[in-house]
Amino acid sequence: MTAAIGEAPVLGTDADPRWFAPLLVWRGIVAVALAALTLGAVVQRGLVLDGPIRWVLVAALAGATAAAVMALLWTRRRDHRGRVTGFALDGLIGVIAAFIALNRMDIFTGLDAVGDEFNGSASWLLLIVLGWLVSGFADRTGTNAEFVKTAARYTMLVGLAVLLLTMNLLAGILEFVQRAVGTEVIAFTAVAIVAFTFTKILWGDRAAALFNTNQSQAETLEGLLFVAPNALGFLTFFAGPLVVSLFISFTEWDGLTDAVFVGFQHYADLLSDDLFLRSLRNILVFGVIAIPAAVVPALLLAALLNSKLPGMRVFRAIYFLPSIAGVVGVTLIWKQLFNSTVGFLNYAILQVTDFFNGLFGSGLTAPQPQWISDSNIALFSVIILFAWQTIGFNTVLFLAGMQGIDGGLYEAADIDGASPWVRFRRITVPLLKPTTVFVVATTTILALQLFNEPFILQSPAPPAGPGNSTLTPVVYLYQNAFQQFQIGYASAVAWALFILIFGVTLLYFRRQGEDGVLTA
Amino acid sequence: MSVDTMPDRDAQIRRDRRGRILRTIVTRGGAYAILLGFAAIMLFPFVFMVASALKTPEDTFRYPPKVLPRSPSVAEIDGEDVELFALPTSEGTREVFLAESGIEAGLFVNPNDPEATLAWPLALASDTGTTATVEGEALPVFSIDGPTGTVELALQRNTSVGRFVATDDPDVVTFAVVRTAARAEAVDPQWQNFSEIIELRNFDRSLTNTILVTILVVGGTLFTSIMGGYAFSRVQFPGRDKIFVAYIGSIMIPFIVLIVPLFRLMVSLGWVNTLGSLVWPFLFNAYGTFLMRQFFVSIPKDLEEAAFIDGAKRWRILWGIFVPLSWPAIATLATFMFLYAWNSFIWPLVSINLGNPDDFVLTLALQTLGGQAGESPNLLFAAIVLSVTVPFLVFAFAQRYFVENVATSGIK
Repeated sequence: MTAAIGEAPVLGTDADPRWFAPLLVWRGIVAVALAALTLGAVVQRGLVLDGPIRWVLVAALAGATAAAVMALLWTRRRDHRGRVTGFALDGLIGVIAAFIALNRMDIFTGLDAVGDEFNGSASWLLLIVLGWLVSGFADRTGTNAEFVKTAARYTMLVGLAVLLLTMNLLAGILEFVQRAVGTEVIAFTAVAIVAFTFTKILWGDRAAALFNTNQSQAETLEGLLFVAPNALGFLTFFAGPLVVSLFISFTEWDGLTDAVFVGFQHYADLLSDDLFLRSLRNILVFGVIAIPAAVVPALLLAALLNSKLPGMRVFRAIYFLPSIAGVVGVTLIWKQLFNSTVGFLNYAILQVTDFFNGLFGSGLTAPQPQWISDSNIALFSVIILFAWQTIGFNTVLFLAGMQGIDGGLYEAADIDGASPWVRFRRITVPLLKPTTVFVVATTTILALQLFNEPFILQSPAPPAGPGNSTLTPVVYLYQNAFQQFQIGYASAVAWALFILIFGVTLLYFRRQGEDGVLTA
Repeated sequence: MSVDTMPDRDAQIRRDRRGRILRTIVTRGGAYAILLGFAAIMLFPFVFMVASALKTPEDTFRYPPKVLPRSPSVAEIDGEDVELFALPTSEGTREVFLAESGIEAGLFVNPNDPEATLAWPLALASDTGTTATVEGEALPVFSIDGPTGTVELALQRNTSVGRFVATDDPDVVTFAVVRTAARAEAVDPQWQNFSEIIELRNFDRSLTNTILVTILVVGGTLFTSIMGGYAFSRVQFPGRDKIFVAYIGSIMIPFIVLIVPLFRLMVSLGWVNTLGSLVWPFLFNAYGTFLMRQFFVSIPKDLEEAAFIDGAKRWRILWGIFVPLSWPAIATLATFMFLYAWNSFIWPLVSINLGNPDDFVLTLALQTLGGQAGESPNLLFAAIVLSVTVPFLVFAFAQRYFVENVATSGIK
């Protein structure tokens, strides 16, 4: 260590820019402050954050402290790593400080106020959309294209201006300034400004020269900058919560009092939890019927659509509608169709039975099931709905797969006089196997997460349905986490389900080979 | 080849061709029949949705159910609104109104078909003096000049009828039991349902919130995905490809694993029950980054190298060269994110739920409305129509990208 310091150039030489000494001081402050924060997070119980989240925070802070210390040493030696590490640290500190300041100013929740104002002026949005559409079609207007484009652009501008004005933008800015006055907010804003200033300095050409940065090291910095939005969002809203989730699943926690570590207790309990086992059984029954019901008709329809007859695009569009309409609306429509007294489904059954009775003189009585409220059939109602929703989507997937099949094969089969069925059986099905495996896998993963359909169909009754007949693992998770506040147990349910889904994914990759997703 | 076999072969070829044409017609007919059948199944719920949105509340509970919205016909007769009936008259089934009620009448039955009955005033029936046996009972037979001409029917019991007069011709008169007489109905869409639902229970606010959230999520995701996609495809930094693999590997992790800790995070940040909780966590998308990266990789390197020589910075190269070239990928990602944001349900249910109706998004408003719609499903359906119209419109304009999205990723 002493050797390292001895090698370092003396401070304050003419070659150093004016900001170098402050940078070193700042590096020191950052390292000390992070160390103090880490210590504080370890010692102080119930910091600002929930119990389990605190330990994730401690780990993150410890890592940051280590990085800050290294950055200090590297910066003293003018090692290029000092620039990269310092850049990342300062950027991160700036973002976090700015985030806290803005959150204290209620900026992130301020969207609600925007929603308030937006409601009155949203119609001006139409003007912007109109301008956008017109500019899109401008090229087709021929000689006037330039004029139309300009006019459209001005329409959009006017729309935006009126939108912002009617949304009380000025009042909003004033309000914002008022909230900014407050010691905490000012402190965090100051930290953010200092951190961002050093970030900018480290980004500059002079810093690059000082740290003897070569081309590839400079590129690393740019890479960090471009990845930053994704990386920060991913860590905050995905990776962090994921780790926390696993942690919570090993604790007994109601969300209010301190979490108690219980090890694998929850997972052991799951194995003898009748309700959880019931949810697994339900989802198994559901999958065994719903997956073929959503895949086999799709394969047939895709084969027909692939025949290049006129009107196929229209059919494809129609089949696609259920998958874009939104699960809530669609489920509510079906809820009315399922209605046992005035619903169309029972009426159709009645009509068909009468028709058969008239045709064959048989005396069948039409079954009139209580679709949603009969514990024997409730799950079957969900299956019908799920299949109806998913078939069109799967059809388009199959169609995409079929268009990759060499047309010459079909021509050869035609010459041999093969019937359409034989061509389907001997060419389409075997060559479509990768697509089929993919479709089955995605449909299975979707089916395992079944929640919306039973929840909305049964509402306002509990989503578990009559006699727990539509209790799915996710419904069970929801009940545990957000109704009974068994947060630890709910997390265990989530991870158990995740393991199941992961198993399906692994199975898929094993079938598909490794070349599926990662081919560049 | 002898001369006399030629006609034979021609006939054979002609027969073959005819057979093939026939087979084509049959197979194509079958194909269209199946396709049409499925199209009907896929479309019917939507037709039902639109029709129900235009019904009166009573009409939604009618049995047998009818698709088209109908309501009882009313006409102004002598300055008063009266209900109209549709009854068989001597001039066929006509729209009639009740002119007089409580007329003494008999319920007559056809001796040959005891199911066919007719209620008619006794004063207008003439006794033939004969009797007929209906279900073991000897009944007097009357001659009646009824709506279907003169018939001989047996009198079963006494009842009372009303006199009905056609609205357009006072000479056309018929009789029927008032209580069971068929009401005249007309297709009568209730367009005001839409304005009613918009004013009801903050529904317009929910629509606005959904639009706001969707715009922010789509815009934000496009921005981060373009940035990330560019970094992972064009900027060299240590560990880049490993980070990329880990990042897209996260696509495999289902959202439900995150729902509990993400909710706790929202609690810690004070974002529960705010629209922010629906926006800020969802601006980062591994799938979007993957999609953009795959597209950027396919762009030839020469294009940007020329720009580098010009001294352009990466930022300008990205937005000036890459983005304009990547319109198809951007549109695909935008449609995908649009659907995701517009239709998401479980997360708003958890993070907003019933805490604050001002922050309902459409899906929540629909779900709440669905729970309360006992007495007015028509309004619920009007709300559903509004909620699916926007995705359908976007689909109509950007169909290609929807299908492309499915074809390239298969992620729902």
